[in-house]
Order: sequence, then C-alpha cells, then structure tokens
Amino acid sequence: MDLQIESGDFVFLVGSSGAGKSSLIRLLIRDELPSTGRVWVDGQDVVRMPRSAVPRLRRRVGVVFQDFKLLPRKTVAENVAFALLVTGHSADVVREETDRALSLVGLSPRREHFPDQLSGGEQQRTAIARALVSRPRILIADEPTGNLDPVTSWEIIKLLVRVNELGTTLVMATHNAEIVNALRRRVIHLDRGMVVRDEREGLYAA
Amino acid sequence: MKRVEYVLASAAQGFWRNPVMSLASTFTVGLMLLLFAFFLATDRGLQEAVSVLESKVELALFLEDDTRVSDVLALRARIEADPAVSRVLYVSKDDAMARLREIAERRKDFDIVDTSANPLQASLEIKLSRPQDAARLALALRDEVGKGVVYEVVDNPSVVDKLLTITRVLSIGGLAVLAMMLIVALFVIVNTIRIAVHARRDEIEIMKLVGATDWFVRWPFILEGMLVGALGAVAALAVVLVAAGPMSNSLAGFLEIVPLSFGSAFLWQLVASVFALALLVGGGGAMLSMRTHLAK
Repeated sequence: MDLQIESGDFVFLVGSSGAGKSSLIRLLIRDELPSTGRVWVDGQDVVRMPRSAVPRLRRRVGVVFQDFKLLPRKTVAENVAFALLVTGHSADVVREETDRALSLVGLSPRREHFPDQLSGGEQQRTAIARALVSRPRILIADEPTGNLDPVTSWEIIKLLVRVNELGTTLVMATHNAEIVNALRRRVIHLDRGMVVRDEREGLYAA
Repeated sequence: MKRVEYVLASAAQGFWRNPVMSLASTFTVGLMLLLFAFFLATDRGLQEAVSVLESKVELALFLEDDTRVSDVLALRARIEADPAVSRVLYVSKDDAMARLREIAERRKDFDIVDTSANPLQASLEIKLSRPQDAARLALALRDEVGKGVVYEVVDNPSVVDKLLTITRVLSIGGLAVLAMMLIVALFVIVNTIRIAVHARRDEIEIMKLVGATDWFVRWPFILEGMLVGALGAVAALAVVLVAAGPMSNSLAGFLEIVPLSFGSAFLWQLVASVFALALLVGGGGAMLSMRTHLAK
C-alpha cells in the first residue's frame, strides 16, 4: 500500500469490515506497528520514532471513535479538559482551550452535564471537542456516525467539514454511503489491506 | 497545580475504590514491616548485648594460695600475649573479700558471719576482645591446672555463646523469613495495583490516546502503591511502639542479662528504615504491575 494524504485534505476511508480501515488508523497514531513498511505523519517517521516521542505525536493527531470513549463520571467540560490536563498544561490554558473547543462544537450550554444526560450526537460532539482541544493538525474519525441516526449523523458531518475548513486535515472511516456520495471528497477504498480505489471527488461505490 | 492534584486525587481514589483489597495489602505490608522492625530492633539489641558482655569478665583463673608473685606475673604476660585477650586484671585475696563485702551490704539475705579468715582465692580476670575465642582460651588454660599456679579455670561464656548463636540464627532465619514476607508483600501489592489499573482501564486508554506520557499514566498507581506502603509502615510502627517495652523486657529476662534500651537515634533510624522499605516495596510493586500493563 502506498498512500499519501495532503495537509488540509478531507479523506474518506471506505471498505467492508475487516478491510483494514481501523488498522490503518492505528498505524497513524502508532497504536500498532507495521510488520514492514514505513509511516509518516506530519513529517515524522512514526515507525522509527522512539517510544518516548509517541505522546507528542498523539497530541498532534486527534481521534474520535464510534463508541465516543467518554469518561462517564466526568462532565462534558471535564472530559474535554482531561486531554489537556493529562498532557501537562497550566490551569489557565486548560480553561481557555476547553471553552474554545466547547463553543466550536456548540456544547457550551451543556458543559456541566454528564455523558449519560446527553444524546448520542452530543456525546460525539464532546468526543470531537476533546480531540480538538489540543489543536491537532490531523483529526481521525473512525466511523463517527456509526451509532447515530441520520439526522444526527449529518450534524456531526457538518461539524467535521467545518473543522476541516478551519485547516485541520480530516481522515474519516465510514460505512455511510449517503454521506460519502453527498460530499464528493477524496475516497480511498480498502479491501483486505490493499488500496483498490483512490479517487478525488469519489463516490462510496465505484 | 491541577496536574499534581489530578495525580494525587487519582491515587487516593484508587485506594478507596477497592477498600478491601487495599486494606488487605496494607495489612500484609504492615506485617512484613513489623517483622522488619522486629528484626532490626532485635539485631541491634543483640549487638549491644554482645558488646556489653565483651566488656565484662569472660574468663577467671583462680590461683593456688601459695603461688609466687613472679609466677603469676609470668602467667599473666603469657595470657596477655594472646591476640584474643584485651586485658588481664589481677584480683588479690583482699580484693576478692572487699567485693564480697560489697555484695553482702546490698543484699539482705546474705551475711558474712566470720571475717577472721579469708578463704577466697586470688584470681586473674581475663577480658576478651574476641569473645568467640573464649572456649579455645579456656581449654588452653585448663592445661595449667594442677601445675602449681592455676587452681581452677572458670569460664562464663555460656551467655556469650547463647547470644552469638541467637544472633546468628536470627540473622539467617530472620533474613530468610523477611525475604519471604517481602515477596508476599510485593505479590499482594502487584495484584492490588493490577486491580486498580483494571478499574481505570478506560481512563488509561484515553490518557494514552490524547498523548499523556507513560510516566503521567504511572504516577497515580505508583503513589497508590506508596500509600499502601506508608499506611502499612504507620501500622507496623504503632505496633512496635506498643509492644517494644514488654518485648525487650521479656527478651532481657530470657537472656538473664542486659536490659535492652535504645537511644532516640536508633528509634529514628528504625522509623526511617521502615518507611524507606515501605515506599520502596509499595512503589516497586506498583512499577512491576505497570510494566506488564503498559508494555503492550
């Protein structure tokens, strides 16, 4: 597989389950190492970087998942602030950046709610705010609308498009044909670990 | 600092999230530390006892009544030449009687009724620099008995022997038991922390995802381990505080000698050693369980 994604791009990863979308994402954040080959993210060789450099890589690459991965005993604001807190930012920075990320995803009014008091869409927006709070260069979304109804899915997609327009490179794995076909962005189709199709302004299916 | 607050709060929360396990491991660590403290105190006590005994008479040669002074002096010189001997003291018949009078004055059940004659013998009291050589020296001096100078050799090293044996047994046995307890304590702490890690696995996953360093992820657990250790140390030292008096008395009674008493310097040393071991075992155990978890 030889693949390059330009800075500022919006890319869909499509393909059936087990085609390698999630593996590719795990390679990008060095959750997994390739048996052969090289991976560069934001100009850095991910494969050869020392283990101690991995945290810095992950601060520049935000990730959101289908299952949100929010901490149930923390509020929306605490979940978002958590990403900055554990990477050693001062209280002032944590507060400012959390406010900024929450208003970007439109959740400022719900900041003191707990995840189980939120709708699925709001939970995913919280996860997106957490991924964006450290101002990453790249945002990776692994089936972010997989658990959401169509209307909510569109709200999330609109949010991701706006994030992309603000300069963040977006990589999104999805099974949602309607969204891919409506947006007409670059589509990378994976099958059994291989790129079988790579189109600018592509559709979900060839 | 919010970050430090987070680490401390996480550690405390981890401890109380599973109180049964935390208290069980605190208890185990406390027990291990108690053994350690007991070992330190006993070892120190025995060392002191030995050194007190070393300054005491360990061998006495009772002399024939009609021995010539020159013979006594020659014998004394010969004994003093032995490297195990630190000092030889000549006690004349009069000295011996004076001591007996002194003892009689102190004890009501003891009276000297007739002082017209002095049946006590003059003696050479031998102090040893190496008490473990007492038996050898006594054996050599017994050859002198019946040759006109030495009437009898009395060695009193039974206590020293006892002490040296006890010290040796305690050192080896104590260290062995301590090593076993250390392993048990480590095992329990490793498991406690593993459970704590498991309870927070979602939080850890997210921390790693958003780019927290390995150390930041580890610290709460290491501190939790140290907290277990420190609480165990407090418990162990509390027991030591309560039990130290009666115990040292019974030990002194058992050895029929030297009452043991420790200066405050030693007590501080004991407290410091117990806490150092507690933090080491607690933090080390946590590190061990983190190694296996964070390795993947």
